[in-house]
Amino acid sequence: MIAHRSHIYGVIGEFEKPEQLVHAATKIREAGYRYYECYTPFPVEGMPEAMAMRRNDVPLITLFGGLLGGLGGFGFQYWANVYSYPINVAGRPLNSWPAFIPVTFEMTILFASLFAVFGMLALNGLPQPHHPIFNAHRFTHASTDRFFVCIQARDKKFHLAETARFLQGLAAHHVSEVHDD
Amino acid sequence: MTAQDYMAPESVGRLQQRALGAGIVGLVACGICVFLYGDQYADRFFHSYLIAFMFVLGLSLGSLGLLMLQHLTGGHWGIMTRRPLESATRVLPVVAILFLPIVIFGMKHLYGEWLNAPSSGEGRLSDLQQSYLVPNGILGFKARALYYFLIWLALVYVFNRWSKEQDLNREDRALRRRMKMMAGPGIILYVFIMTFAAIDWVMSLSPHWASTIYGFLFVIGQLISSMSLMIAVLVLLSRTAPMEGVVQNRHLHDLGKLLLAFVMLWAYFGFSQLLIIWSGNLPEEISFYRTRLYGGWGVVAVLVLIFHFFVPFFALLSRDLKRSARLLPKIAIWLIFMRLVDLFWLTRPEFTSNAVPGLMDVAAILALAGIWFAVFARNLKSQPLLPLGDPKLEEAIEVHEY
Repeated sequence: MIAHRSHIYGVIGEFEKPEQLVHAATKIREAGYRYYECYTPFPVEGMPEAMAMRRNDVPLITLFGGLLGGLGGFGFQYWANVYSYPINVAGRPLNSWPAFIPVTFEMTILFASLFAVFGMLALNGLPQPHHPIFNAHRFTHASTDRFFVCIQARDKKFHLAETARFLQGLAAHHVSEVHDD
Repeated sequence: MTAQDYMAPESVGRLQQRALGAGIVGLVACGICVFLYGDQYADRFFHSYLIAFMFVLGLSLGSLGLLMLQHLTGGHWGIMTRRPLESATRVLPVVAILFLPIVIFGMKHLYGEWLNAPSSGEGRLSDLQQSYLVPNGILGFKARALYYFLIWLALVYVFNRWSKEQDLNREDRALRRRMKMMAGPGIILYVFIMTFAAIDWVMSLSPHWASTIYGFLFVIGQLISSMSLMIAVLVLLSRTAPMEGVVQNRHLHDLGKLLLAFVMLWAYFGFSQLLIIWSGNLPEEISFYRTRLYGGWGVVAVLVLIFHFFVPFFALLSRDLKRSARLLPKIAIWLIFMRLVDLFWLTRPEFTSNAVPGLMDVAAILALAGIWFAVFARNLKSQPLLPLGDPKLEEAIEVHEY
């Protein structure tokens, strides 16, 4: 490995079987690590539980977007018809709320879905042209036949040598450091 | 896995006895009302009977619709609910018999407005209505009711028969395909016939008023009541062997999601009708909402909007609630009750401006629902609780830890 001075992103370890990774993820969490990520070629059953993943905030963001779209859609029609440009349509009240509902409904759905998509992207930190994990030299196998775990340097418990030893103790192969640039 | 292992537990037998008891109490209470209401009793009885009849009809027909839907789409929820759905559809012959009192005694108490409509002058019906709204004849009201029931019963018969055959011929993939092929046309037929039935039996209470989405309002209402019933029944069954541990949270989650979709669709249809009639603002159309959105009926309308739409809608948005065997059935049973309130709001304002239900309403619903549930429970006991011949069964009951 080229020894130039750069920050360390983390320490990566490699496994041959998904069950080994699930086991390792459980042990890593039990050892007190919080910032670590698993990389697998396909969704591995039991992984979210092994990592004790919390539920994400996308539903909440979606709800907020829906409420914003609905209230905004209705509010804008109300403002336009009652204050900005009141017209008497066949003697109906200016605030003809039943006629506003279809637009309110569409705006609710539009904003909820936009907030869901962009909220998901934002929570994932996307778009991100490059990620340090690609510096790991065997990482291409993560999309074919190997299972990786990377403990990140920002974790409070992280210590380069000890964490690497810990991963080796979990029977990980090719334990190596991942650089930040 | 043998048929014997999956027979209904004792709790279903208890349900049958209790339902039968409730039915008898309801019938007795109906009898008491006859003395209470004096010479008005026949009118009052049939006004209440119609609501109770449409309710139990909805439990059976909604189940027929869901049964065909799950044959068409597949999915583990369908395999879990298939036997309860089939049991509910097999109550339809009893429901057909319960329609006889309306045809034989009840017509002049319910449909007097078109039976006695003048053929010319003030209050006359259009030519089309005059030829459609006739009691007798080969295409008259009574004959049509016969055709509707014959078509529905034919659908009930084939799906139940094939399903029973499948239990015995596990290897026979052709049966599965045949049920799928029949389900598509079957759903169209069910919705089409239900539209006519809704026009005949309920919309014709006020013959001058017409709405083309009316049948859909009944169809979606029936799907809500049936789906709610399935949730309640599955949770009840999951408390004891043999279904204990078989019904899982993921199944409830799917059923809850469908229930949420149905609740939204119900609101969508209901609002579509309101928006079009409100925008048109025509005297003969707006009468429907004039009677239903003001005074006591206006209060009922607001209650239906809040408790049939907003409360279940926001509750069912929650993932935790949909996966909860404790909370989901509560929402489901609540929705079954709200179906009754909605039917009450749809039919009763044609007869009275008094929006307070009477003893007769409670008695009629108790009687008919009691009979319906007793037959339903009996049907549930007659077959294994899971479709043992379905090729997807093992996958459907596989326990997922995660």
